[in-house]
Amino acid sequence: MALAAASKSLLLLGECVPCLKHNASKFKVRRFELDTNLLMYFRTWEFVYALDPEKKCKTGDVVLIEKCPEQLTRLITHKVKEIVYPHGDVIDPLTGKKVVGGKFRDHVEAVNRIYGKTATAFDYDSAPDRGWLEDIKDFSHVDTYVKYHENGEDQPYAV
Amino acid sequence: MNIIRRAVFSNPLTSTLLICTRSYAFKSNLKIKWVRPTKIPCYDPAKSGDLVPMPEFDKTQFQLEFQKCKELASANDLVKRLFSLEYAPRHRTTQLYLRQLIDGTKRHNQDEGSIEAKIARWTGAIRAMQDLVKRFPHDVRLRVRIKELSDKRKKQLKYLRRWDYKKFEWLIDTLNIVYKPHPIDFRTVTRKESLRKLTNQHCDDIKNDRLKTYRLQLEAEQPDFLQEKIKALEFIRKEQEECNVCVTVTQTEIDDVRQQLRNLLQKRRDLNTKEE
Repeated sequence: MALAAASKSLLLLGECVPCLKHNASKFKVRRFELDTNLLMYFRTWEFVYALDPEKKCKTGDVVLIEKCPEQLTRLITHKVKEIVYPHGDVIDPLTGKKVVGGKFRDHVEAVNRIYGKTATAFDYDSAPDRGWLEDIKDFSHVDTYVKYHENGEDQPYAV
Repeated sequence: MNIIRRAVFSNPLTSTLLICTRSYAFKSNLKIKWVRPTKIPCYDPAKSGDLVPMPEFDKTQFQLEFQKCKELASANDLVKRLFSLEYAPRHRTTQLYLRQLIDGTKRHNQDEGSIEAKIARWTGAIRAMQDLVKRFPHDVRLRVRIKELSDKRKKQLKYLRRWDYKKFEWLIDTLNIVYKPHPIDFRTVTRKESLRKLTNQHCDDIKNDRLKTYRLQLEAEQPDFLQEKIKALEFIRKEQEECNVCVTVTQTEIDDVRQQLRNLLQKRRDLNTKEE
């Protein structure tokens, strides 16, 4: 019933989750479902697949997805419209400034400059885009699993 | 009741069906060998994700607190040796290592408490303890400290990833840490479940292999099929023209198929030359 509600709406805001499909991304959409006995709303999550041929969406991104006029495959019903918030690159909606934790990035940089920024410190301007360490040192874009079999091969996603 | 049982078991077909569908003590005919993975202890670098161990330090250098001492520069060799790492306890070397790691990541000169400085300090401490645990493998408190600290570091890395992805990537690259998130469902490894997974994998492999061979077979038949198609289309066109009926097959349609055949052959030739 809840899934039907999700597939009906034209625009959805979902969080990208790990997906092995080549041309599509998987999204977790949060909805509130009414329990008619308790007359209370409870959180439920539905999973929707959206067409993303270039794999622009990365795990954790908050993305606006749009319903396709006709269903593309059995699974893929939507297509990606816009990446609203990339994961780990938070922007304050009121001021439009970048935020880290509870502080503005500019303010942190100003403090660093007063104390004397070190040469080895992290620099936002020269930092490459997200994803350059994928499958090298960062394995957070995939679902890891507990290693259950020793086949002599390297299993990078096994914990 | 007995009459029914007798009737069921007297029929050979029903008895074999019953044997085939039994789930209890089911034995698979597949020759899948399951090897239980060896347990990685929690204090092992493979578990904590540290790619490099604590390096060997030059023992002739001064301890951290005496490195900027001006008097030592003019002191004799014996005094210099006394203040070097050679005669100092082990934690002096660790102190120097921690300082190096923190200096490599800190934001400004006074920085000690930022998340990158903290993670650098914890990383140094973890690696020093991992080095020590090789000498004292029965020190349980040490093993617990390593586990707790590496878990704490992992938790903070998880938060940093959420707040500032670029900094997270830079930090794990600078400190040489591999970050793997916790699995969604953590289950103890059992023989039964592992064999089930391996059987599923085996079935998938068979399916993919068969699909691949079928695809190759169809692709091999493509040129012959296209030639036959050209012939058939030409024949239909010729017959229609001769019989003065409405011509349904156009010349462009036949040319398109010819072009398709040419492209296909060209593609195959290119592939062959590449392989050679």
